[in-house]
Formats: sequence, C-alpha cells, structure tokens
Amino acid sequence: MTLSRRDFLRVSAAGSGSLVLALSFSGCSGIQTGYREEDDRWVADAWLEITLDNTIYFTLARVEMGQGTYTGLTTLIAEELDVEPSVIRPKFAPVAPEYRNPLYKLQLTGGSTSLATSWEPLRRAGASARLMLVAAAAEVWQIDPASCRTDNGRVLHPDGRELNYGQLAKLAAAGKAPENPELKPREQWKYIGRERGRLDARAKATGTAQYGIDVELPGMVYAVVTRPPRYGASVAGFDDSAVRAMPGVLDVFAIERGIAVVADKYWRARKAQAQLVVEWNTEEALAVSGDAVMEHYHRAADDDPGEEERREGDFGAGVRSADRVIEASYEQPFLAHATLEPMNATAWYRGGRMEIWAPTQAPDLARIAVARVTDLSPDEVAVNTTFLGGGFGRRLTQDYVEEVAAVAARIRKPVKLIWSREEDTRHDVYRPAMLHRMKATLKDGGVTGWQHQVVGPQILDWYVRNAAPAQYPWAPKFLYDTLGKVGLMAEGIATPKDISAIEGAVDYPYRVDNLDIRHTHTDAGVPISWWRSVGYSHNGFAVETFMDELASELGRDPFQFRRELIRHEPRHLAVLERAAAMADWDSPPAPGRARGIALFRSFGTYVAQVVEAGIEGGDIRVYRVSCAVDCGEVVNPDVVRDQIEGGIIFGLTAALYGEITFENGAVVQSNFHDYPLLRITALPEIRVDIMASSDTPTGVGEPGVPPVIPALGNALFALTGIRQRKLPLVARA
Amino acid sequence: MALTLTVNGHTRTLAIEDDTPLLWVIRDELGLKGTKFGCGAGLCGACTVHLDGAPVRSCSTPVSMAAGRSVTTIEGITPAEGLHPLQQAWVDHGVPQCGYCQSGQIMTAAHLLAYNASPGDDEIVAAMSGNLCRCGTYSKIIAAVKSVAAKHQQGEARDDA
Ligand code: FES
Ligand code: FES
Repeated sequence: MTLSRRDFLRVSAAGSGSLVLALSFSGCSGIQTGYREEDDRWVADAWLEITLDNTIYFTLARVEMGQGTYTGLTTLIAEELDVEPSVIRPKFAPVAPEYRNPLYKLQLTGGSTSLATSWEPLRRAGASARLMLVAAAAEVWQIDPASCRTDNGRVLHPDGRELNYGQLAKLAAAGKAPENPELKPREQWKYIGRERGRLDARAKATGTAQYGIDVELPGMVYAVVTRPPRYGASVAGFDDSAVRAMPGVLDVFAIERGIAVVADKYWRARKAQAQLVVEWNTEEALAVSGDAVMEHYHRAADDDPGEEERREGDFGAGVRSADRVIEASYEQPFLAHATLEPMNATAWYRGGRMEIWAPTQAPDLARIAVARVTDLSPDEVAVNTTFLGGGFGRRLTQDYVEEVAAVAARIRKPVKLIWSREEDTRHDVYRPAMLHRMKATLKDGGVTGWQHQVVGPQILDWYVRNAAPAQYPWAPKFLYDTLGKVGLMAEGIATPKDISAIEGAVDYPYRVDNLDIRHTHTDAGVPISWWRSVGYSHNGFAVETFMDELASELGRDPFQFRRELIRHEPRHLAVLERAAAMADWDSPPAPGRARGIALFRSFGTYVAQVVEAGIEGGDIRVYRVSCAVDCGEVVNPDVVRDQIEGGIIFGLTAALYGEITFENGAVVQSNFHDYPLLRITALPEIRVDIMASSDTPTGVGEPGVPPVIPALGNALFALTGIRQRKLPLVARA
Repeated sequence: MALTLTVNGHTRTLAIEDDTPLLWVIRDELGLKGTKFGCGAGLCGACTVHLDGAPVRSCSTPVSMAAGRSVTTIEGITPAEGLHPLQQAWVDHGVPQCGYCQSGQIMTAAHLLAYNASPGDDEIVAAMSGNLCRCGTYSKIIAAVKSVAAKHQQGEARDDA
C-alpha cells in the first residue's frame, strides 16, 4: 500500500472537548468544508470523534448502497480502536477533500475500491486514536503506557482500574498523534474476518433507515419533470394552462432537462403533469431503432480496426501458419441500472446557499451539478448523503441533482423531486451496448493466437462534464465545459486512460503466444455510464464464451482446457479448480441439465463459477451456481458472500432478461414488466467459497457479475449444442 | 373529501383526493416512511402493507379503498420494545443489503406466517414471488423466514408436550 505514506493525521479538540481525528489522504486541504447550520460557518469535519459522554462517531467517506461499507469500514476502525463495531455510530460524510477516494481524486464510491483504499489508512487511524487514549490513561494513572491494555472501549490499569474512552477523550485530544502506529497482527484480530451481522440491518428491517426518498423538510413541496422522450430533444414550446388549473399546483416552468411541475403533494404533481402539452424540438434528437446500433458498430468495426491496446507476438504470422482460424462476434445490449429506489433528490435554496439531500455515489459531483445549473459556486452548496436504495453505478451521474437544484433555485422552498419507475428506466444512463469480434488461431491441437476487437463507446466521454470541475473546484464556472475536455488530458480523472471499454479484454490471462487486443471507439449517441462491473460485464461474456468455443473446436473439456492455459497464474488456477470441485465437474449432471464454466478476474478479485442449467417449459432454468472467490484478506465473510451472491443474481438478470431497446430514438422498456428483474421463483442454489488469503483486500461488489453470464451461456451450449452469441440468452432446445 | 382510516391502530381522518394511492398517504400525509415506492405499478412489492390483515400493494391501492378499514405498515409490526420475530431474523441473518425492498419483504412474510406458521420452501418462495430485490438477498430471505417458522414449530412442540 503506497497510500499510507501520504496520509497524515490531524488532531484537534473540538469545541466540546472531544477527541477528533482527521485523516487526510491527499495532504492538500485549505478548502473549507462541511457546513454546520447551528453556527452558520464552514468547519472541517472529522473521521473519528470520541465525545466526553463516550459516543464514538465515525465518518463514512464512502456511501452505503448495499455493498456493506457501513459495516466493513466501521469494522476496520473498530479493530484497531478496540471497540465492538456495533458501538460505533457511523455517519455519512459531507463533501470535503479529506473524504476523496485517493484513486479517483474525487469523493465517490465505485469501482469496488472502498475497502482497498481504506484498508491501511482506517486501521492506522484507529490505532493512533487507541494509542493516544492509552497515553492519556497512563498519564492519569502515572504509569507506563505499555502496562495498559484496552478492551472494548476502555483502557485497563494492571490493578483492574479502568477508564472509558469518553473519560479520556479530552486529555487524549491534547496529545500528539503517533506518526506510524503499529497495526495488530492478524492473529489478534477480534472483528476483522469474523462472521457478524451488518450494522445497518436493524434500521433496514424496521423501515427506519433514511433513504433519499424519505427526506422530509418543513413546508416541503414536490416536483416532477417531464423530459424529452428522445435523448437530445429539447423543449420547443409548452402549454401549461390545464396543469395550472389542477389542485395544489404551485408552478410549471422549463429547466434545462425538461419541464418541471411543482405541487404541494407528490400525487398532485403527477396528476397535473399528465395535463402538460409539450412540443419537442427533435432536430438533434437520437433517432436509433431496432438493430441500428449494432449495424452502426459493425460498420465501424469494418472501417476501423481500432487502436491497439495490447500486442504480444505476431498474430498475423500466426494466422498464416495456423491449422485453423476460428471467428465469432458477440453482441450485447444496453442495460438499465434499475435500482429499486428510483432517482430522487431534495433541495433547499436559502440565504445564498443550497443544501442538497441525495442518495448519491458522488457528493463531490453533486455540488458541481448544482453549480452548473444555478448561479451558485460549489462552495455554496452542501450535500447530505443518505442511505442509497441501490447504486450499481447509476448514482455516479448527477442528472437528478441538477434537476432538483434548478427547481429549488426558482421555488425557494424545500422541494423533493421523485422520478417514476418509467422515468427511471427511460432516462437512465445505460451500460453501453457493445460488439466484440473475436478471432483465434489453432495449431497442433492448441491455441496460438487470440484477437479481440472491442467495438463501442467510452464512458468518460459522457462523464467528464461533471467530473473535471470537481477536481478543480476553484475554477471559474464558465470553464467547466472546457475543463471537462482539457482536465481529462491534463491530469486524468478516474484513470490516466479510460479503460471502461477494454477492461477484462486487455488483461486476457491465458497463456497464448500471439495476442492482438484492440478497441474501435464508436458511439451511437445513447447516454451511457458505469454499471455494476462496467467493461468487465461485457468483456467477460466475450472472452469466456470464446474460450468455450475454442475448447469445443479442439474437442477439449472446457475446464481442463482453461486449466492448462492458466497454470502460470496461481490465483486464477486455484479458484478455477475450487469451483470445478464444488460443482462436481467430473460427474455427469442430472438428465436434462448441463454445466458451463467461466473464470474471470475483475477489480483485483478472482472468480470462477460453474452454472448448472436446463430448459423447463420453454424457459431457461438455472439450478445451481458454484462460485470460488479470491478477494485477498476478508474483513467480513458474510458481506463478501452476500455481495458475490448479489452479483451473480445481477448477472443472471442481465443474461436472462436484460435489454434496453430503442424505437425511433425512444426507449421501449418502462417498468419491471418489460425490464424484469430475477424473482425469488427463479433463484438457483448458490454456493460461494472464499479462498484463504493474506493479500490486500480487493473489491467484491462487482466481480460476481461477469463470469456468471458466459457460464450460463456455456451451460446452454453444453445442453443444446447451440452457441448463443447475443444477449439476453433465449431458451432454444 | 374527508376520509377515515385506521393506520397501525390509530384512526385518522384526512382531506385528500380519493384516487391518491394509499402509499403516498402513508408516506407523506402520515409521515410513515418505512413503506417504499419502487415501481408504482404493483410489480415490485416494495410498497406492501396489510389492509385488514391481507397484503396489498399500496402504490396501486387508491386511498378510498382503505376508507373505514385497517392498515398496518412496517412501523405497525415493530413492537415498542425489541423487534418482531421476522425483523429479528432479518437482523440475525443479515438479510438487508441496500435494504430498500426489505420493508415490503417483511410485510409479505408476516402475512405468510400469519396464515401458515410453518411453510415449506416452496410455499415461502411462492408467497414471496411478488417482492423484487435488486440486490439479490433472496436466499437469506428464505433462510430468515424459515428460521422463524422453525422457532414457531419448536414452540408448538413444547406446547404439545
Ligand atoms: S411500488 Fe408498489 S408494487 Fe412496486
Ligand atoms: S436489499 Fe436492495 S433491493 Fe433488496
């Protein structure tokens, strides 16, 4: 971990005398942060606060959207602080440089990075605080700190006396944070790696956890927005006379993204909205229908072999000497995020400031979104993050915050904006549709060459507008659009290069001499974004299906074929063998069933899966998924299993049903009847084995998704002999 | 349009349009935010409440249909002290991920156990089939419901002895 070198701790006695530890990843502060209403000033916020009455607050710099950061990060700090995780009160971070994700230089949650980026710093923060509390106790007792022990929030004197952390907070706060506190050896861990519940389970089982949609403010009104039915269309004119006559309607007006209807109650706003007549200017609107996007990709792929992303050996020479050349192309559709909590946000504009309450993965970018559509600067915007009813990448895009901010700036009352499910499905930023053209050379019963041409858009093209200014909050607003383009080149945003299209393709792991991996960059004009497992989600299907095709061409067993070509990668090999053993690969499945296998590394995590499936009554039926995972050291095994299982269900949902289509530029699907999610009735038996490891923990929220899609496709091939090269999969016997 | 309904044992009279979905009345007029909005079309179950003891989709139930009747929400099954056995099982099994669907899941499960105290796996799956979970917590939901049913059975066995 290189991060720790740049970290530092700041200690302060907050007004009340509590011990406050501020941990910075970047070392560059100076920007005032965290608006506190009671004293109407901006104050720096803290990571860890221990108050005199012994309440321990921990600021969560990553949001909780189901992936378990609330529990996972709290467990890290608890371990070194030496308190039960359940005693700590986590709170969601305001926007401040301290809370930025050091990998992205932005305060956002995504890319399965929370645990990896917090693993060292949070434990060090906990360890520092503990040492300071011990030092304070030793001073009180006038003994050697080394003779003191701690246990669940108390410092213990050798003679049995004790002081709790709250009693010591004031004295500890006057001390100095140790530079490089030693961390507990793993044998001494009490909380990391133990099965224990989720700290937010109680609130979520009683309906008391507050999501964005639950925010309630005095005198709050409700907004709905009518958006262009086709992306890129704009308002040419509208007639709101019937709308204004409806009960409870307060205002109707155009904002950048459509027409807002504001009423005193949500249902009144909805009913009034139905009366709105809008004329759209569709000159620049999206016009795709049916297969147009794929046809466009195929033409682009023909015209442009694309940029070379990885090259080893000489693929062309391999083609000339090959016994056989195998080719296939795979088509994958646009996909919606379909978080169960639809997009929503609440805003209040008063006193020259705007306060936002939002279920957002990127509070940093939410401020920029507000600044873009109002006359405020980002410094004048405070963002409160709530629990998220699912994220999956959708809430990295701040379009819903832009909308509510534009409404609040005019209405000047607290206002909540709620999207309907139909709006959420039709105005999503989608997982891009992608085309993959694969070619392999076979010689003497083996694979000598692998060519992969990824065809489709890059996500950052759609994202820079908001992200770049967040890195340069001091920049004048008129530069935002320019920064969106230049900032990317100057410093790089998520990564020095946008790998969203090629991740999982360029890191092809099998031992093949000639590799030629390229990207034909083309964009169909449909708004896109990150979607749980991002590029890996489509590259996984292409790579692992084509591997299966090659095994079959060579008359090899798909497991043994992979196993042979991955011998040089021990972590890949181990999960592959484990999954095969779990699934009893060598024994024949029950009649009418078949198995498929896939192996895929994403976000640093190694996952192998075997799917057992059949076709029943004209429908694909998945019976069992056996999954082996290597995600390094495990903080909470239960959360890992949940996340992997959730990822498998997310992947199966995409493989079986997922498809967003367009008709004359408008999205066809609208709600769960035509964009279905996997129901409990289709739930397979899922077994997840976690490999023992002492490597740095890697993400688990996303890596469960990619392999299950090809594993299911490969099972259907084994069952029917028909290779499906297009998603979603269909039942064909 | 004054309308009277009983929610979690409290009788309330409201002036509200007849066709307002019960969901928004519960959430915004009565301030009970535990019941969630997911689809507005009876497809996801996030908004499940009990109407005279039977589960309904409050997003697709006009408030007029609840007039004079008794509504129970997730807040209504939460005891003043401690937790409902299903809620306890949800905590013990660590069921919720994002948690957004879970009020609805628990309300559906509560109804199942009210008429069938020891359902088999198939009965649990059938009863829960209208409740979507995007996070994929289904296997833990089944395990949690089963654990409550099993405890009940043990209790019955003890009663018989
Ligand atoms: S919100 Fe009522 S069923 Fe989905
Ligand atoms: S826990 Fe997230 S939708 Fe069920």
